[in-house]
Amino acid sequence: MPQKYIQQSFCALVSLVFTAGTMAFSFSLDRNDEELFAKGAAIYRAQCVSCHGEKGEGGTDKYAEPLIGDATLSELAKLISETMPEENPDACVGEDADAVAAFVFKEFYGEEAQARNKPPRAALARLTGSQLRQSLADLYSHFRGTPKRNDKRGVRAIYFDGPNWKNEKKKIERIDPVIHFDFGHDSPGEGIDPKAFYIYWEGGILATETGRYEIVVRSTCSFVMDFGKIGRQLINNHVQSGDKTEFRQMVTLTAGRVYPFKIDFIQRERKTEKPPANVSLSWVPPNGAEQLIPTRNLVYDDLTPTFSIESELPPDDRSYGFERGLAIDRQWDESTTRASLEFGQIAATELWPEYRKKHKNDSNENRALLRSFLTEIVETAFRSPVGEELKERYVDKQVDATDDDIEAIQRSMLVSLKSPRFLYPLADQEQAISARHANRLTLTLFDSLPTDDWLIKKIRKNELESVDKIRGMAQEFVKDYRAQAKLKYMLHEWLNTKSFGEITKNEALYPGFDAGLVSDLRDSLDAFLEDVVTSESSDFRQLFLADWTYTSDRLSQFYGDSWLPLESAPADPAKVPSSQLRRSVSDPQKRFGVLTHPFLMSGMSYHDTTSPIHRGVFLTRFVFGRTLRPPNEAFTPLSPDLHPDLTTRERVALQTSPDNCQVCHTKINGLGFALENFDAVGKFRSQERSKPLDSSGKYVDRNGKEVSFSGPRDLAEYIASSDDAQTGFVNRAFQHFVKQPAAAFGPKTLRELTENFRKNDYNINKLIVEIAVLAATRDPAFSK
Amino acid sequence: MPSSVSRREFIRKTGISAAAANLMFSLPSLGWANGAAPRKQRLVFIFSPNGVIPDHFWPEKIGADFELKRILSPLADFKSQMMTMHGVCNRIKGDGDGHMRGIGCLLTGIELFPGDVQGGSDTPAGWSKGISVDQHLKNKLQADPLTQTRFGSLEFGVMVPERADTWTRMSYAGPNQPVAPIDNPYQMFDKLYGQTKNRALLASVLDDLTDDFRKVEQLISVEDRRMLQDHVAMVREIEKELQSEIELRKKTGDVGHAVPTMPANVEEQNDNIPQISRMQMDLMVNSFAADFARIATFQITNSVGSPKMKWLGIDEGHHHLSHEPDTNEVAYESLIKINTWYCEQVAYLAKRLAETPEPGGPGSMLDNTTLVWTNELGKGNSHTRDNIPFVLVGGGLGFKMGQSMDFGKVPHNRLLMNFCEAMGHPEKAFGNPDFCADGPLTGLT
Repeated sequence: MPQKYIQQSFCALVSLVFTAGTMAFSFSLDRNDEELFAKGAAIYRAQCVSCHGEKGEGGTDKYAEPLIGDATLSELAKLISETMPEENPDACVGEDADAVAAFVFKEFYGEEAQARNKPPRAALARLTGSQLRQSLADLYSHFRGTPKRNDKRGVRAIYFDGPNWKNEKKKIERIDPVIHFDFGHDSPGEGIDPKAFYIYWEGGILATETGRYEIVVRSTCSFVMDFGKIGRQLINNHVQSGDKTEFRQMVTLTAGRVYPFKIDFIQRERKTEKPPANVSLSWVPPNGAEQLIPTRNLVYDDLTPTFSIESELPPDDRSYGFERGLAIDRQWDESTTRASLEFGQIAATELWPEYRKKHKNDSNENRALLRSFLTEIVETAFRSPVGEELKERYVDKQVDATDDDIEAIQRSMLVSLKSPRFLYPLADQEQAISARHANRLTLTLFDSLPTDDWLIKKIRKNELESVDKIRGMAQEFVKDYRAQAKLKYMLHEWLNTKSFGEITKNEALYPGFDAGLVSDLRDSLDAFLEDVVTSESSDFRQLFLADWTYTSDRLSQFYGDSWLPLESAPADPAKVPSSQLRRSVSDPQKRFGVLTHPFLMSGMSYHDTTSPIHRGVFLTRFVFGRTLRPPNEAFTPLSPDLHPDLTTRERVALQTSPDNCQVCHTKINGLGFALENFDAVGKFRSQERSKPLDSSGKYVDRNGKEVSFSGPRDLAEYIASSDDAQTGFVNRAFQHFVKQPAAAFGPKTLRELTENFRKNDYNINKLIVEIAVLAATRDPAFSK
Repeated sequence: MPSSVSRREFIRKTGISAAAANLMFSLPSLGWANGAAPRKQRLVFIFSPNGVIPDHFWPEKIGADFELKRILSPLADFKSQMMTMHGVCNRIKGDGDGHMRGIGCLLTGIELFPGDVQGGSDTPAGWSKGISVDQHLKNKLQADPLTQTRFGSLEFGVMVPERADTWTRMSYAGPNQPVAPIDNPYQMFDKLYGQTKNRALLASVLDDLTDDFRKVEQLISVEDRRMLQDHVAMVREIEKELQSEIELRKKTGDVGHAVPTMPANVEEQNDNIPQISRMQMDLMVNSFAADFARIATFQITNSVGSPKMKWLGIDEGHHHLSHEPDTNEVAYESLIKINTWYCEQVAYLAKRLAETPEPGGPGSMLDNTTLVWTNELGKGNSHTRDNIPFVLVGGGLGFKMGQSMDFGKVPHNRLLMNFCEAMGHPEKAFGNPDFCADGPLTGLT
């Protein structure tokens, strides 16, 4: 299993880096141990090699995986003594086991050995799916610029008396928090005759996740909606007809992008009977339930056009535990063709006419305008000015091939966007240092490339050589919608929420836990994460210590008083619909940030019962960043019905009691049990099956130090201060943003970043800035 | 389309490569639509707006011995293959002004929904309450493997305004479901040939790409070159496959699937109407030859359309002119010219179809196609929907052509029923059943 090998060895490698200086084994290795090694080697060859292979590479019928990991030497010795060889665990115990453990550890198992045997490096990669999508979106934005983040939430609204835009009939100008109105036969506002009126809404829809969305407009009156660009029509209900009042449209949206829109909503005067006027703007986000587009996703005062490709892109290689652009295959190639054609289309229909208009006074001899238009896109896509030869290949030859301008644009875009100069962002050795810095900075923070005019100017003037300049820019960029969306994605990867799939529960046991509630839970988690991350302190520890969350009416009804909103209901309930999330009251006894959030607790539970194993595996792998090998075989959990007297904890303990299960479950269960206070839907409980709940637990850290918890609070407090958890988080952030192993940037990279994280009071945004600066300015390729 | 046995689907299911398929299907013994399949029948609705000048449109004599007046004179070559149908009236009442009901009920035969779009007179209205006959027949044809085609129907337009309202939509997929015609020939081209063309485009640029790979290789470290080499090897392989696909297509002379060439850079502007009309009609003929569809609509502008036919020396918009009283001689003469120009378009399409042999069958494509030229009004300045100008050309429906007919004053629903019946899918009623009691019109076959 080469994929598993890579993943395990890699995780282990990373952990080496930060423990190298502080290794504290229960017994150490030095020259005097040569005898021990020799003994260990001999025993290994005699008793272990047939299953584990000459160099612990595995690959045999009995043991497929390589023998690598992050257990301490003494843990390893104990494990061997108790369980090895499998057919006769008594054959290798005590000093023999110590000797084999020492040999195995030094030769291949330990992290140092792994680094020695397979040194990490920053490998060449093509754009990943997300990077391709984001790069094309920014390439489109090159001519108009990318929107700057603003904190203006809601939709700009202008209300007119009468059915059309007449300045003298303008009655109301305001910001509507959402679009959701039921005017009936009444006037929508003072001075407006209900017989005929016109409301103009404009704003932007901020997508924080890439995927298929359904835009849903419900309207009893005439309306037209533009989307993505004012002038790009999405829904045309110019004609109000019969009882057709619901309008749905699927669109692919890209994370971190604002899609400008406008709605012209008109109640016309008519001789016949008029329907009551009502209108709402909703969406069905990916994996979500239909809801009004919430205020937090509505932005006003920026109508910069946005473009996203609709083409589906195949998933990227994740064998390293994070997405990397490594696979070169037909499916990927075809998707780049489709994406390039799609971009060619929008370039021809939107960008080119605008460019021509803007340069209408320039000479167009020999289609000079078309050539300069295409050259500008190609230079942006290639992240570099193009010389005569490249211009000939990517522009002139394509223009000369056809008299049709549209076709020329399609040709040029197709060949350019399938070129390795675009698809391999870091094949830029020829470029000046400023360009290389900026290429990496934008790739790290935005999954994209430098396209804004002001940035390209700085690059061309070579003004971005210094680390301080890059840091200054990174500090600005990290606030950008794109960087924040990438961070949100990273947090979800870290919390492993993608693995939950559709969360459903036994209706008889948990009435009311339905798709709508799950959707609110997801939104609550997102809002909480966003709030923590974007706050001034951006404090990692708050993710485990916060005693508040975000709630909705539905959530407080289901989860009780600790889920009531912080403030009493707002003055004008019409303005903030009940589905809108609000910050909850505090509950310092039962709420510990994401750790106890019902979205996670229910996602890591079965249909009827909790799953301490899922929770424990999650904490071990994702929160503490440790490696666990897969179970020896697939097990079906013991049915609660067969053990009516046992609590979940007791059942799990029973099933995982054999020695060879305990190798891993001693780590897993001790963490999972500490969350037993939260049932299968994440509701707090203090007993199960009429027995008081035992939520004590333990954890042995990377250095072999054991910590015990008496319940969720201890666990939360421990995680917030745990070196393993902090390092695990930094490592995940690095992998996600840079898409390379941290150790490839030097053996001390991870330790350095983690120390820095600590010094900055665990500020997540500052961590991302430091990662970006490091990735931008310390690429190992620079030294070649 | 899970039940499809279209060419493409057949290829996919049997696993024949695209290249080999092109060879196979060029052999007559494997040709489609031979053998058991009935003859192909096609039906095209051509719309021009604002009524006609009846005195220069309708033949005086009824029967085979009829004369062509000025407006119909461009169809002289097709006299034996055409039929004029006087006395067919759009009797649909209800909401909407004359123009709205004129176009919205023309192919649907049913009232408009109440709505908020107010015309020049009458009450406001919304969309049609029912499906139009073209879409209805398309559904019928698509449901039968023997008559199923890639698109079923194609909706062409010429300078249809960028406005979705009752005046700009003739075709309906169902109640409240107007179908937007495609009035940009390049967009229609993409719909018909986009994929084939994109493959050709790809084939023609890949060579430039592989050359540049070698240069980029020099920019990266030796240990990383392997990835780029794999990449370029794959691109070369694709290039070879595309080349042989294109070569094969050339060799087998796959005429039906030949991609037509289009004049470059024709903007959607009033003055380009004649050229756009030609381009669209050429695309229609090509798509019929390739059997992409058997039903089409061809909508020139819209109800109340107002093209300025400067190419005829007429600077005023058609709709405005159509309101002028008959006593305005200049307007009257202009309207005759304008309608004659519309007729020329019908004649051009008829000519193209007549010149094209029916693929896989005897005769010409016109022998198996009926063009139905129609209008939202009988006469512009009266807004009457009596005597809707229905002129049929071609043998698709199997009617007895070469005659001028007068039905007195019959609801046009009955004629819509004739279309269904003649296409092999008779209906007890079409549109509002109140107008269908007398069944399809008689004497057409």
